[in-house]
Amino acid sequence: MNQADITKLVSKLRIKVPPTHRRLRNPLGPEGRLNKLRKTVTGLIKYERIELNYNRADEARQYAERLISEAISHGDCHKPTMEIADFWLLEKELVHKLFKVLVPRFENSSSAFTKMYKAPKPAYARAIEKTILELKGNPYPSLTTRQPNNKLLLQNVLLDAAKYDYRQTKYAEIAEKMSTPEETKNPDS
Amino acid sequence: MSLVMRKSPIEYFNAAKWIIRRECRYLSNLPEVAENSEVVEDKPPKGRKPRFLNPTLQYRHVYPEFLPDPNPKFRNSLREKLERADMLKRRSQVDIPEFYVGTILAVTIADPHAQGKTNKFVGICIERKGCGLRAEFTLRNVIDHQGIEVRYELYDPTIQNIQVLRLEKRLDDKLFYLRDALPEYCTFPIDMDPEILPEGSPVPVNTVQVKLKPRPWLERWERQELKGVSNIEEHLKEKDRVRRELRKTPWEKFDLMKDYRKTIPIEDQTEIWGEVYNQLQQMRVSRKKMSKQRTFTAPKTQLG
Amino acid sequence: MLRNLLNRFKSVPSCGFHTSPCLNEVQLLTRLRVVDNSEIGKRAMAEGKPPKIICVYNKKRIGYIGDRVMVAIKGQKKKGILVGLKQTQNVKVPKFDSNNVVLIDDNGTPLGTRIHVPIPTILRTILKEKTHAKGADYTKLLSIATRFV
Repeated sequence: MNQADITKLVSKLRIKVPPTHRRLRNPLGPEGRLNKLRKTVTGLIKYERIELNYNRADEARQYAERLISEAISHGDCHKPTMEIADFWLLEKELVHKLFKVLVPRFENSSSAFTKMYKAPKPAYARAIEKTILELKGNPYPSLTTRQPNNKLLLQNVLLDAAKYDYRQTKYAEIAEKMSTPEETKNPDS
Repeated sequence: MSLVMRKSPIEYFNAAKWIIRRECRYLSNLPEVAENSEVVEDKPPKGRKPRFLNPTLQYRHVYPEFLPDPNPKFRNSLREKLERADMLKRRSQVDIPEFYVGTILAVTIADPHAQGKTNKFVGICIERKGCGLRAEFTLRNVIDHQGIEVRYELYDPTIQNIQVLRLEKRLDDKLFYLRDALPEYCTFPIDMDPEILPEGSPVPVNTVQVKLKPRPWLERWERQELKGVSNIEEHLKEKDRVRRELRKTPWEKFDLMKDYRKTIPIEDQTEIWGEVYNQLQQMRVSRKKMSKQRTFTAPKTQLG
Repeated sequence: MLRNLLNRFKSVPSCGFHTSPCLNEVQLLTRLRVVDNSEIGKRAMAEGKPPKIICVYNKKRIGYIGDRVMVAIKGQKKKGILVGLKQTQNVKVPKFDSNNVVLIDDNGTPLGTRIHVPIPTILRTILKEKTHAKGADYTKLLSIATRFV
């Protein structure tokens, strides 16, 4: 039973945090692990959408969320936060992006700052699970379709066409039936 | 033929909409961002300060055991709630004062083994650990040139009285190095008188730096970046300095998730403090009144 | 140079010895501190040859507070009672900075006349339980103690 650390105050993350960290095997140990994650976090902040292995993405996502939430809660005048940003962002112009672009973007958001999708895997192959990690509010087109009942989906288009064809044939049949009795009646009379 | 004819206009329309939306987004995004960045430079001192002004959060320094274990393995919201209620009940029975690591305390317990059935021990608090009802603290003193440490549970029903003799903090979180320090740094007379701080003054930090005995030591103090020790360097060899450099972990302070896993986040803390704040505050106020009454009565007896 | 050393250090697989803190158990050949004023004990401590345990009289062979031990002191075999331990103790039981022993003879009578360090109060109960009507009487030790904690 440990006492919680009371020297620091952190705001709660809006993502699920696993109870322990992943080790992300590295010959340099924990230092090498952080170096790996630094690259990923830098890439995420820079490109706003990246595709990578699941383990690393999930681990980097937590650090990115923490970095943004620290930046939001302390601002750019806080020295320790600045040092942390300096450590995590390998390209220094991204520090400006963090405080001037991302902080205003996420300041009033009530959900997580990042989003993670599972990427498609090649079928019948033993492949490592890939994911797509992105910052919310990025300028790219969204990866998911908003309406599940999109008319332009191929299945829906084909179904529509099939329905249309079926209806056309039905109308034709009805029209034929309408016309044939007249023909049959006429000779009787 | 009819198929193609029906589909194409909708498709074109949708594609056009998508393109327009995208372009609009691009167009709208860039100037927006630039505007925001200009605004933000002026804002921070005004807009962001109020987040940390929640006064109940300051209670975490005084009552750290009310916060649950940060390890999710040991979390159980119902148990924590029941424990907090029990802790408040115990606190209403016995005055558990505010104290920190480095404070000098006198603890009186009901001891079935002792002759007078009570046992009093005076010492400096060198460690506080545990959370909930299992919170513990350790006192250390040197009596008859023999270092003695006693560990007490904070919510032990046999504790009759906890008296703060000198309320202060030290430079470090744990004072285990006192075990290897010269005995005068943790020698306190058993009949020590309590020193009363003026009301409303902050808790003083004792900046005394202790001197360690020569090696062998119980732990490798040189690797722990202690602030309260003055003469570590005297006892080190070149080998130890090299090893200390090798073992340093400068990246650890940037490990944001490690910090996160050690703490209880603000949102959870406000919930907890909101639950216990009123009762703790009431207890504090009533204790203050009691102590004032006592101080008023004490001079009368002296006069008489 | 340091970086170099560091790299070399890291290429070596992790060291084999374990780094968990020691238990400070009192067991065979542990050196003790005699805390009474018996002649033999005083001389042994003054010469810098503290007694060492050659037997702990319990089934686990690890000495806890109040246990009877046999010590080798200045070439002689003497019995003693552990009255203070370095090991982590239960709540409310004091932990001492040294492993303390009081020398006794076979009847439980202490060899000295005074103990010059504090004695844990829990010893009262423990020693009373160990004393039997016809056997050795260990409670005499309590009467020569100067201070209890």
